[in-house]
Amino acid sequence: MIVGVQQYVMEVLEGSPKHRMSQYVEWLISSVVLINCTAVILDSIPEVHAEHKAFFHELEFWSVMFFTAEYLLRVWSLGRKYLAEGSRWKGRKEYIFSPFGLIDFFATMPHYLHMFFPTLDLRILRVLRLLRILKLSKYNTALQDLFHAVHSERRAFGSAAFLLMIATIVSASLMHFAEGHEQPEHFGSIPHAIYWSVVTITAGYGNVEPVTRAGEAIALLTGFLGVCMAAIMTGIVASAFSNQMSRKKAAFKAQLLKALSDGEVSEAERDSLRRLQQRFRLSDADVQAMIDGAQNK
Amino acid sequence: MSGAPSLYARAQRRTYEILDGEVFDQTSRICEYFIASLVVLNVIAIILESVPQFHEAYAHWFDYFDVFSVVVFSIEYVLRVWSYGARYPEPEKTWQGRRDYIFSPFGLVDFFSTVPFYLQLLFPGADLRVLRMFRLMRIFKLSRYNSAMEDMLEAIKSERDSFSSAIFLLFISCLLFSSLIYIVEGQDQPEVFPSIPAAMHWFMLTIIAGWGNVDPVSFLGVLLVVVTQILAIALAAILTGVVATAYAAQVQGREALYEMEVREVLADGVVSEEEHHHLKHLQAKYGMSDEQVQAIAEQVRMEKEAAKAS
Repeated sequence: MIVGVQQYVMEVLEGSPKHRMSQYVEWLISSVVLINCTAVILDSIPEVHAEHKAFFHELEFWSVMFFTAEYLLRVWSLGRKYLAEGSRWKGRKEYIFSPFGLIDFFATMPHYLHMFFPTLDLRILRVLRLLRILKLSKYNTALQDLFHAVHSERRAFGSAAFLLMIATIVSASLMHFAEGHEQPEHFGSIPHAIYWSVVTITAGYGNVEPVTRAGEAIALLTGFLGVCMAAIMTGIVASAFSNQMSRKKAAFKAQLLKALSDGEVSEAERDSLRRLQQRFRLSDADVQAMIDGAQNK
Repeated sequence: MSGAPSLYARAQRRTYEILDGEVFDQTSRICEYFIASLVVLNVIAIILESVPQFHEAYAHWFDYFDVFSVVVFSIEYVLRVWSYGARYPEPEKTWQGRRDYIFSPFGLVDFFSTVPFYLQLLFPGADLRVLRMFRLMRIFKLSRYNSAMEDMLEAIKSERDSFSSAIFLLFISCLLFSSLIYIVEGQDQPEVFPSIPAAMHWFMLTIIAGWGNVDPVSFLGVLLVVVTQILAIALAAILTGVVATAYAAQVQGREALYEMEVREVLADGVVSEEEHHHLKHLQAKYGMSDEQVQAIAEQVRMEKEAAKAS
């Protein structure tokens, strides 16, 4: 009985599509998080803070209770994960030290510290409270997709960073050589000029007016490099996303062909394909096109 | 020449392998790290030296370090020139290999970032700023150990038609718009648009920064400025699109190459130790993630099974 409940709680909290309940729990946690973040923002306005101080305190108290319950339930129920292997603590440890587990912990627990040591710096506490917004990312596959896409193109990003570094140092040094005597307050040393160079590349041309011909040419080139860097970054991200999409389609197609290989699609296969489609966020039209393509073969 | 190669030839060949880094062994890696870190230290030194306080306090140390670096880089350059004679196995091609290196971009960078130091010894009156600029070129020595530049150039080369049409568009619109704004506003604002080159400067500023520091006074002038600003956005979008296509094509090309290798390896049904090693090496070279590799392997296996079944 208790093991059954543990299993159920674990699956619901992990968001397994088996239970209708997981969707509701997800919504509940997400809305509490959103309410919390709104409260943190509103609380920073002095007038609102003065007027509704008691309410915010109450809200914070109940939120902390809610998140503590969630945290404890997660830790408890994840004891079930590797129970078959005879380890009660493996699943728990895995969760506690995972990024999400750490976020859950640090977004909630500092409140208790504050209870015991009321003299603690409140600003740190507020920053930690904002961590709660990261709890949302657990339920957002788009963010995870983004991380994956960036990770798979890390080499291209590395190259872009390398080029950016070289461009910054070279343009800053050239500017220092060209205008160091004329405008020592801006280009007196290379580190000083690096600041100018970074601003010009990222924010665009124009924070310092060059006075020499050479300086003007270098500044224009640096500004143009900034435009190119933005193009490169955007291009890498765009191609990362499109590559990821095509990989997902390929993976889905492989599963589809597997399901079709024996001539018929069973109920279980249909379900698993549905779930896969949802996870990869492929449109119905995409899937239909793949099925048509496979059948034509 | 017949029989075993002489000691001289072997030493030359070995030096070539170590410096070229194509055969990846321990010595060549250590050598690579040593030169790369010396380059990084040089760049840091150049940056710090430009801060007046540091320069005054540690001028001697900077000088010693520069002498040391020049000695190391000179030895490197001489060794490279000498050993690249072994690039082609034919003895009569000794100088062709050396020429290849000397006139390659890397060879030129190596030369011009080191040799001006000796010029300063000969002619102490030379302009220091020029010398410093040459020293700064040492930063490009790093690109030998980082494929970023190569990747970028390769991507640009494969999309050179699109790039050249974008640049052509920029060029044409620069001529057109700066002439137009000179004609329209030159009379009203002679201090900002005294000539077409000055108007070109305004155009480039508008393209880069979105604002050319000039307020137009006539209606036609306003129209031109607005169109130029829209053009700036369009050019940025075109550049982005071209880069995105180039990168995507590069990644897909790498995946296709890798897939071909996987197919070849799986053709005889077994994956030997050596083949496994080769695939790993290829994966690292192409910078592919494990998931990507797995997806490709899975797909190839699937296709084989499907082929077997039918």
